Amino acid sequence: MIRIGTKDKKAVEMAADVIKKGGLVLYPSDTVYILAVDATNKSAVEKLIGFKDRWAGKAISVAVLDEVMASEYVELDDNAKRLYSRLLPGPFTIISKGKHKTAKGIEAENGTLGIRIPDSKLIADLVRMVGKPISATSANLSGRSPHYSVESLLGTLSKKKMEMLDLIVDGGRLPNNKPSTVIDISESEIKVLRRGDVVTGKSGQTVISKSEKETGKVAEFIVKKIIEKSKDDKAIVLALTGDLGCGKTVFSRSVARMFGVEGKITSPTFFIFNEYEITKSKTTLITKFLHFDLYRIRDKHELDEINFFDLFEKGSVACVEWPENMGEEALEELKKKVNWVPIKFEYIEENTREIQY
Amino acid sequence: MIILAIDTSCDDTSAAVLMDDRILANVVSSQVDLHKDWGGVVPDIAMRAHKERIEAVIAEAIKRSQISDLRFQKHIKKDEKIKEIIAKGMEKIEVIAVTKGSGLAPALSVGVNKAKELAIEFDKKLVAVNHIEGHILSVLAKNRAGRPERQIEWPALALTISGGHTKIVRISGIGKYEVVGETLDDAAGEALDKAAKQMGLGYPGGPVIERLAESGNDNFMELPRPLKDRKDFDYSFSGLKTAFYYQIKKLTNEEINEHLTDYAASYQRAVFETLLMKYGKAIDEYKVKSLIAVGGVMANQKLRKMLGKLARDKKIPIYFPVKKILNTDNAGMIGLVGYFQALRGEFVENKAELDRDPRMEIGN
Repeated sequence: MIRIGTKDKKAVEMAADVIKKGGLVLYPSDTVYILAVDATNKSAVEKLIGFKDRWAGKAISVAVLDEVMASEYVELDDNAKRLYSRLLPGPFTIISKGKHKTAKGIEAENGTLGIRIPDSKLIADLVRMVGKPISATSANLSGRSPHYSVESLLGTLSKKKMEMLDLIVDGGRLPNNKPSTVIDISESEIKVLRRGDVVTGKSGQTVISKSEKETGKVAEFIVKKIIEKSKDDKAIVLALTGDLGCGKTVFSRSVARMFGVEGKITSPTFFIFNEYEITKSKTTLITKFLHFDLYRIRDKHELDEINFFDLFEKGSVACVEWPENMGEEALEELKKKVNWVPIKFEYIEENTREIQY
Repeated sequence: MIILAIDTSCDDTSAAVLMDDRILANVVSSQVDLHKDWGGVVPDIAMRAHKERIEAVIAEAIKRSQISDLRFQKHIKKDEKIKEIIAKGMEKIEVIAVTKGSGLAPALSVGVNKAKELAIEFDKKLVAVNHIEGHILSVLAKNRAGRPERQIEWPALALTISGGHTKIVRISGIGKYEVVGETLDDAAGEALDKAAKQMGLGYPGGPVIERLAESGNDNFMELPRPLKDRKDFDYSFSGLKTAFYYQIKKLTNEEINEHLTDYAASYQRAVFETLLMKYGKAIDEYKVKSLIAVGGVMANQKLRKMLGKLARDKKIPIYFPVKKILNTDNAGMIGLVGYFQALRGEFVENKAELDRDPRMEIGN
């Protein structure tokens, strides 16, 4: 058994080599540690199933590079494609009808296959080098919980199992993200089979939050997507609409944290907006975070007088609560200037919110 | 030492003139009807509003302070008159104190820029003041005659509550502060404003709720006491606001109106009890000799009574600002902080480079 750290530049290349030769690799993902094999290699898949003590009828999800690659292995109609562009890359496994191009044991008995496009450069690089889908099943024995560190898994393995691992790629301790949310779209009705950190609503077009913590995860997920998709350096404005107490401020606070804002982040209702310089930016291009609460604004001229329209400089991200209070005219003016991203919050029940973006 | 103080941290444009720790004049534009010729004003968050009235407010403060002989020989235009009053006042004024933060950024700039301009033009010493420290020390304010003579013993524990802040601050002496608790989301005053809006009442909601609550049953509605079980002294009012909102939302307008006073009373009680609970715990923890309760929400008589009782139970004297104008934002309190800073020699070194600090912290 060989072990290599992710900081080592050769790690991905080595893993790709081992996988191409039919080996079994322990590999870090955006959620938990996974067991990666070439999903089209029969003996590799058998080895994986043997390792997991798992009955062969249960499907094993695979990681691919993008929607194009996914469509080689599963049927994707327009609805599915829309869902892909909305959710992936991200912490989701999307189950569709398979095209039976993977090795036996990967697709479920009913011929469906779960696809992951993890939000992880390490995985994307690996898949690119292997050129085939790789298994993305969580690294644990069947029925046990997943692992966030290599040590934690190794502690549960017998010597025999340990010898089955051909390579360990050690990414250290992973952040405590839940395993992916599993969504089955192979039937006409979309079903959520497992709840991860970010869970979709009935249509698949919205996400559901059941706690402040989940709202935070949702914020992180949505904002990452938006930043990936933004093509110019205009300010990004997240326009948060929804009733009082729907989680708009919680959402904004999570966005601020994402960009490395430290210290307390309080509601700016009284001061209309708070401005945070981002010095230790995690995403290098963003230099400023603005948090607006237009709850008190009654008239557009009040905005002019706080130089509202000049605040949205290049490289800034803004969360705007109660954007509707600025009025139609100002709204149109601002939309022209910035990348405008509407996000709607809806109260479902006491601790449940539906978020549409 | 004659001090001119300026505060433009939020809605109100304010200027004051002090002789040491005695406030000679304390003008707040939204509460005082300035001479009509000088442009009567309405409360506004606007920077332009501050800009338009700042000079008139300073002139008014100088006039009322009676530090200068302001008899003019001939009739002159109002703009010139304002300039002349300020120039005359500047002959006597030695130090200019201005709020640097915290506050609304564009609003703060107006005061900071004006203070810089005057300090440079007339070659005066400049002091940059923290707004929250102003609120805390407002309990030490004296009138022209030097009253009241308060001998506050340190250490003290201050509760500062307004629409913009909610903090518990430990004070080991003038100028020595440590924030031991504060709100993690909405300020207490803001929580009151928002509830008022939910019930279809006006802004600012605090005073409306206070009036309604007087005749209401404060046990009518069950509401949470946020962060009750946490050991720290931090507040959170967002959850309380949400709980209230979703209870109110289920009701028709008729139902709300029928029990308006009861809802107001129950909500106000929940906010105030939350404030007192943490404050009480902090008092036990820090074993201080004095209590200080300041900020706009202290205008609420019910809250004052509750705090008065808390202080009696703890057998520690509690101090509130002596005048109503000292509860809300005012430049008098800024001048007072400026006076103590000037005594310590804490002047702005490079006047031209003084900048506002919208999220300025106190202590630590």
